[in-house]
Amino acid sequence: MTGQAVCLMFLLPFSAAIAMPMLGAWRRSWCRPLALSTVSLLAVVALFASYVVVTEGPVRYAVGGWDPPVGIVLVLDGLSGLLAVVLSLVSLASLFFGGPMLLNDLGGKVVPYHALVLLLISALVGLTLAGDMFNLFVFLEVAALCTYALVGLAGGRALIAAFRYLILGTIGASFYLLGVGYFYAATGTLNMEDLFNRLPDILHSKAVHTGLIFILLGLAIKAAMVPLHGWLPDAYSHAPNAVVPLLASLITKVSLYAMIRITFWVLGAATLPHEVPILYLLGLGGAVGAVVGAFLALTQQDLRRMFAYGGISHVGLIVVGITIGNQTGFAGGAFYLINDAVMQATLFCSAGIIMHRCGTSELSQLGHLWTQMPWTSAALIVAALSMIGIPPTGGFFGKWYMVLGALEARNYVAVAAILSSTLLTLAYFVRIIERIFGEMSPGSSAVQLASEGPAEMRVSMGALAASIILLGLFSDRIVGLILRSAVPPGFG
Amino acid sequence: MFENLLSNPNFSTFIILFLLGLTIMVTHHNLIKKLIGMYLVQTSILFFFVTTGTKFGSTVPILLSTGGPIDPSMYANPLPHALVVTAIVVGVSTLGVSLGLAIAIFRRYNSLEEDEILKRLE
Repeated sequence: MTGQAVCLMFLLPFSAAIAMPMLGAWRRSWCRPLALSTVSLLAVVALFASYVVVTEGPVRYAVGGWDPPVGIVLVLDGLSGLLAVVLSLVSLASLFFGGPMLLNDLGGKVVPYHALVLLLISALVGLTLAGDMFNLFVFLEVAALCTYALVGLAGGRALIAAFRYLILGTIGASFYLLGVGYFYAATGTLNMEDLFNRLPDILHSKAVHTGLIFILLGLAIKAAMVPLHGWLPDAYSHAPNAVVPLLASLITKVSLYAMIRITFWVLGAATLPHEVPILYLLGLGGAVGAVVGAFLALTQQDLRRMFAYGGISHVGLIVVGITIGNQTGFAGGAFYLINDAVMQATLFCSAGIIMHRCGTSELSQLGHLWTQMPWTSAALIVAALSMIGIPPTGGFFGKWYMVLGALEARNYVAVAAILSSTLLTLAYFVRIIERIFGEMSPGSSAVQLASEGPAEMRVSMGALAASIILLGLFSDRIVGLILRSAVPPGFG
Repeated sequence: MFENLLSNPNFSTFIILFLLGLTIMVTHHNLIKKLIGMYLVQTSILFFFVTTGTKFGSTVPILLSTGGPIDPSMYANPLPHALVVTAIVVGVSTLGVSLGLAIAIFRRYNSLEEDEILKRLE
């Protein structure tokens, strides 16, 4: 029964995406209700399946009745269940948010927008469920292809950004595929659990080392870890406003999830001997990314580019958290990953409303914005508090557990990285908040005449902002849940 | 080291194709040439996959009779080929999307040279 639910989680958005062009040719106005109801149903199924997982343990679904390791298997365990729930809820909010802007932003490309978004959601769900290295590659590429098309949907400058993203994304995917080839040549299996059992005996093999380097390099491009982040700011600042919240909150997070899955559940990094310093190296990369990303965000003049660099810095922070090497740090990192998905969605929703109403997201033009747009400003400030890490928002508790874990492990590099990126984050959000409450900018009549966005956009943005605070209030329960059912094997 | 490369001609061909594709992708300014490089990289990886599935003195992996014991060493490994077929599909769809983007860029900016497009964006 639950196995069927796992399969249904992928099939629901997938079949709706396939049906969308046909439905669109017949009744265009039905596309949006179909998309919204599909994703709501997905959220319900994901909640149900994750509840079963938490109470009864991981669920496996052998596709086509071929048992693993021969067949392909979909696995729903604690971590993937948590991510699937967050993914479906955030994509529901983003889909709800995007509606009013379709006419304005995409010239009424309603059918391609909904079909691509649903296909993207199904691929992301598939990524969280994949129990097979090659299957993960296929879902990674399906998700990436939808993203390129969605970024390019607006035309103009976005086309160039989408093309560059495509080139870099394909290099990343090719590296990943090559690494999978090395793993297969070394072990003769692609099933993750099978690999987990076979890899410890051949860890000294050069093929495994090379494969691992290629896999992590490929996923690092997809997750925009510094210095492989070049595609992200352009893609997210030129993409249509209706799709950016979805892309910014989910693409990098799900790639990070794939990285976590492979490092801990395939390689068994938690139990590796110290001669293989994979966690140390990843953590160092994350620490550099956290600080450099925040510093670059500080130098930006455009609201959306600032948020994009903020997202890059937070990817680094999550990597720092999960690679600390104890339960507390891992739980903090995983909790921060969930928070970051919601925070990025909120930030880009507010930036989207500002773009939609004022026609600009230049920081210098946005003086005294709060009188025209009190709701948008409030949501932006809640998200900002969480990005900085001020209680009672979710971001604070994520950072708290990460710092606790780092102190427990005596990893002072991680502590320094978390604290200094927090200070830099504070600096760039102070710049934004100072502008919003500051004096009216001269010569920006569009901003002075602007008013709040449509109710649908405000509701979805408000729900996202409220869930940041809810995540903070229920943080001990969620972290407890992660500690109970989502900690990788080997952390005792 | 070089004896190793010479004794594995398939592997060295893969390396040459892969690096060639990567160089074309990074150094050329023409968008179509970038895509040619991208396709070369993808194809080289497929070539690598097929190479891992080869076995001398073996036949196609189809059972001739179900009676009697099966000797696995008689048959080539079919899995890499199945993976390659899937990866070819993925590569073709990537190429399709990228050519679509290239057409849209050409219609909008009337050029496929990256530096000219960037000049027009200023």
